[in-house]
Amino acid sequence: MSWAAHDLEPYAFQRHLKLKVAFVPLLIGSYSPDMMTKWFVYGIHLGPWDLKASDPAKFHRGWPGFGFTHSFIYGLVIGLIIWKVFGSKLWGLSFIVGQFAHALTDTGDTVGTMLLFPWTFHFHLGAWAYAGQTGRMTDAAAYFSGLGCMWDAVWMVYGFYSWRVLTGDFFDTYIFKGDSFWPWLNRWVPRGALLTLYRAAFFYGSSRWIAWTIWAHVIHHYPYDLSWGGPHWVHAAHP
Amino acid sequence: MRLRLLKDGFPNPRERRVFAGYLLAAAVYIAIGVAVTDFLLSFWVGVAYIVLAAWAVPTIVRRLT
Repeated sequence: MSWAAHDLEPYAFQRHLKLKVAFVPLLIGSYSPDMMTKWFVYGIHLGPWDLKASDPAKFHRGWPGFGFTHSFIYGLVIGLIIWKVFGSKLWGLSFIVGQFAHALTDTGDTVGTMLLFPWTFHFHLGAWAYAGQTGRMTDAAAYFSGLGCMWDAVWMVYGFYSWRVLTGDFFDTYIFKGDSFWPWLNRWVPRGALLTLYRAAFFYGSSRWIAWTIWAHVIHHYPYDLSWGGPHWVHAAHP
Repeated sequence: MRLRLLKDGFPNPRERRVFAGYLLAAAVYIAIGVAVTDFLLSFWVGVAYIVLAAWAVPTIVRRLT
């Protein structure tokens, strides 16, 4: 799974697609496959109960499970619903672009995604270890020691390289004008706060990438293993 | 051939000041997050933090001065 790419990818798409996509549904689409499942993958304590999937990788990416959320058909169906319910083709298409990006990015790990669900074949490059079943902290340490974090870094560097996508001018010209959601929100929220909200996912993705890297390698000294499928010091799940 | 460091040219002084403000906010966020990793887990905590640090606080300070 990816820890920061899903925060950062929407800015790259926005830069290239400009008024052809709306940022908010693009971001929601990018987050949507994991929205309802991550807590159960890692497990939570709820009073006396420990709730956790018995097979986290299968629950998250497989079938039976919620793996269909990482398929093209899921993005298309939800995008179509958004289009028909909210009457916005732009929002529907933007959601699809974001969700497709997430589903494709997650093919990079050892479990991969069922892109063509209901065909349950897992498309996977196996470039970095899927370690969600080991718990949140070990997963973080493993992810930020392998090629997955380098993939995140590509998006982060590309974002800084294309810095103009984060400026007030870009926001006013493309984001605010391109989607009626922003003028609607502007009735109650000042423009400065809206601009900060627009930048928030990039801030969140890049800041926590740095923070987790420091946590894993400066505080805890987990070894980097940038070999294909690594890090190999963690048990990687497979489909 | 001149090496272009950034795709879109170089930010002007005003844009660099804004970036410096976000860098400062990021440094604090990262320091808190490394010390208390729960702080890094929620997207909404991140959003609330950056709205507070990069918009609310500067706005209040500007009005008071």
